[in-house]
Amino acid sequence: MALDQRARARGVRLNQTLSDARALVPDLDCHPADDQANRALLLKIAGWCERYTPLVALGSDPEEGHDHGLFMDITGCAHLLGGEAALIADLEARLRAQGFHVRLCLADTPGAAWAMARYGQERIIAEGAHAGAILPLSLSGLRLPPAMVASLGRVGLKTIGCIAGLPRAPLAARFGARLMQRLDQALGREEEAISPIMPVAELSTERRFAEPVTHQDEISRVIAALATGIIEPLERRGLGLRRCRLKLFRVDGHVDELDVQTARPLRDAKMIGRLFDERIAGLHDDLDAGFGFDLIRLDVVHADPFDAAQTEMMAHHAAGQGHDALVDRLGARLGLDRVQRFVLADTHIPERSFGRQPVAHLGTPGFGARRSGLGNTALALASDPEADGEIITRPLILFDRPELMQTIAEVPDGPPLRFRWRGVSYEIVRSEGPERIACEWWRDGRGARTRDYFRVEDRQGYRFWMFRHGLYGRETSDPAWYMHGLFA
Amino acid sequence: MSLSRLQTATDILKARTRAYEAQAYQAHRGMALGDGGETSPLPLGASAVDRHLEGGLACGGLHEVRSPLARDIGAATGFALGLAARAMQGDRSGRRGVVWVTDPATRVDGGGLFPAGLAQYGLDPSSVTMVEPGDLQGAMWAADEAAGCNGLAALVFQIKGNPARFDITATRRLMLRARQSGVLALILRQSGEEEASAAVTRWRVNTEMSGADDILERGVGAMRLSLTLERNRAGRTGQWLLAWNPKVRSFNHAAPHPASRANPPAHSLDRLPASADRQALPDKMGQVLDRRQDFGRAS
Repeated sequence: MALDQRARARGVRLNQTLSDARALVPDLDCHPADDQANRALLLKIAGWCERYTPLVALGSDPEEGHDHGLFMDITGCAHLLGGEAALIADLEARLRAQGFHVRLCLADTPGAAWAMARYGQERIIAEGAHAGAILPLSLSGLRLPPAMVASLGRVGLKTIGCIAGLPRAPLAARFGARLMQRLDQALGREEEAISPIMPVAELSTERRFAEPVTHQDEISRVIAALATGIIEPLERRGLGLRRCRLKLFRVDGHVDELDVQTARPLRDAKMIGRLFDERIAGLHDDLDAGFGFDLIRLDVVHADPFDAAQTEMMAHHAAGQGHDALVDRLGARLGLDRVQRFVLADTHIPERSFGRQPVAHLGTPGFGARRSGLGNTALALASDPEADGEIITRPLILFDRPELMQTIAEVPDGPPLRFRWRGVSYEIVRSEGPERIACEWWRDGRGARTRDYFRVEDRQGYRFWMFRHGLYGRETSDPAWYMHGLFA
Repeated sequence: MSLSRLQTATDILKARTRAYEAQAYQAHRGMALGDGGETSPLPLGASAVDRHLEGGLACGGLHEVRSPLARDIGAATGFALGLAARAMQGDRSGRRGVVWVTDPATRVDGGGLFPAGLAQYGLDPSSVTMVEPGDLQGAMWAADEAAGCNGLAALVFQIKGNPARFDITATRRLMLRARQSGVLALILRQSGEEEASAAVTRWRVNTEMSGADDILERGVGAMRLSLTLERNRAGRTGQWLLAWNPKVRSFNHAAPHPASRANPPAHSLDRLPASADRQALPDKMGQVLDRRQDFGRAS
């Protein structure tokens, strides 16, 4: 249950019944609590808070029924904004401007900050002073279950200071180890790590603007500048960029994220800029700049070792890079899952024997000698021209789902003679088969049927790949025929 | 006096106009021939066709492969893939890979490429990058990008029918980009009509009865394609019967089958050129179909 300022001003209190509150304020506006919406909003705020530090964690443990909140680890970040006080003031001013009521506290330990933000008065606890500061606070400040706080209250232990000086063993025996752990965490006797929501970027560079940028050209220029800035640290570490994320912080608190992946390590600012241009151009609706972005950040989410030999100035290498750059560009604009390559699966059922995967996820493109690096030996075997000679048994075009047709065929297992497919009749002149492909009972279950594939040619020279579904007499008495592919 | 001066001015203007026209004609011819200067033509492997094309297909250029009926798409795909395989085989300064861009409309009934079939056909499936944008505009953009990429061996742009958006301007753009980059750009038009475009050549592909199989009496032999060069900016048109040899990745001439349906009409190609907006085509009254092979009658 929560109240806003106006309700408080008119005399409504927490833990009042709704009818009492309605009697006090007849036009009371009340809504049931929506935990999911709260959480979603908190996550959005957390995303926005990444403008201060990459280490932002949700400070809520819902199973204990505690307040929601955020932890931010600003170690090493405060100086970027002119010190801790300036950071706190900036954070509070911006959140208030967005219409949030916030309570903030900066302290040495997450536990102490949590307690002081909720039950204390001070905003910034000096280094080392947190232990003294939290002692007078209520025990609720230790992030304990309400039942434990109540039972501690019954024996007269109401503040943190009360239990800090007591012998530890009897307390732990009576109230559990959790109490001592929380106390130690708040006082800094025990380390407590927060788990950030977003994985921390390997490298990140950002630019803040006094005057928000709105124009797409300006944004492109900023991206180019950020990309240039990120090249040097990448070089120093011997890395090349594989995946990076652009974060656009809008003035009104909204954060836009754009991801770009590359097929292989990249260390070219111009290319990064172009990829983002394509990514923005490929958005279904334009980037909504609203009143402008006041902070743009470029995060390197994933980087791989950059092979220096790749930048050799040899002609064919340059050409190969042209190919990779094309694939990256297509993926950035159209979406990664729309640019795919074949991968083979270990099965004989034709439609399951291959899959398509986004090129960006395949790693190094599988060409020539590097093909074995794909871990796709089946593909390597299948594409060996010496292995199969001139006999063609598989069609060039395979239908996603085999299409049912009317067929006249020899019983029990002879080749088809005539069939009707998509409204046209064909008379078969030549046929080869059957090639029997058994079902995969471990996948399809007991009722699955065997397929007998035939390669046929009609009077006009159309070549088809079709199969009889089920063995006559053993699996079915009326096997159906399906069209599955077209030969050249 | 004044009259004669006027005449001289007119003459000068006329001469200039003639010069400009000659220049424009030269430029047009240069574009039409599609010889980027530095790229050598890509031979098909079949001697008569290569002689006819004066060495082969222009590599940095746009070519159209058309299948008149939906079921001919297998043959047309085979021809396009054969060309792509040849483009990749001749290692042209480190170019690699085929980009296969599909218009989403083809997906509805066309099925998709089958890697096992590609491998048997002589094309490494791992060298094919499939691009499937959500709409035709995206597909045209992707094709443009790929045609302009100088690290690519071949681009195949598969479309269905004759969409109005993919007009002569779009093909001209593709053509120019391919000419600059040296990519073999192919339009694979499924069940499309002939349409004026900037392509250097346009091929109609029909399937043809295969030759006899040595091992199996009723077996399906080596595939055959009936190729019609409907349009050739650089020379004459023609018609051939070709077979594809996957082992050496080459087209060969094939002997016509005696029972073949294709007894090519004597003047099949003496038709008016197609107009850009298909306005000039006469209204079709429908086609006469041979229904004798239908179920009831044939038995």
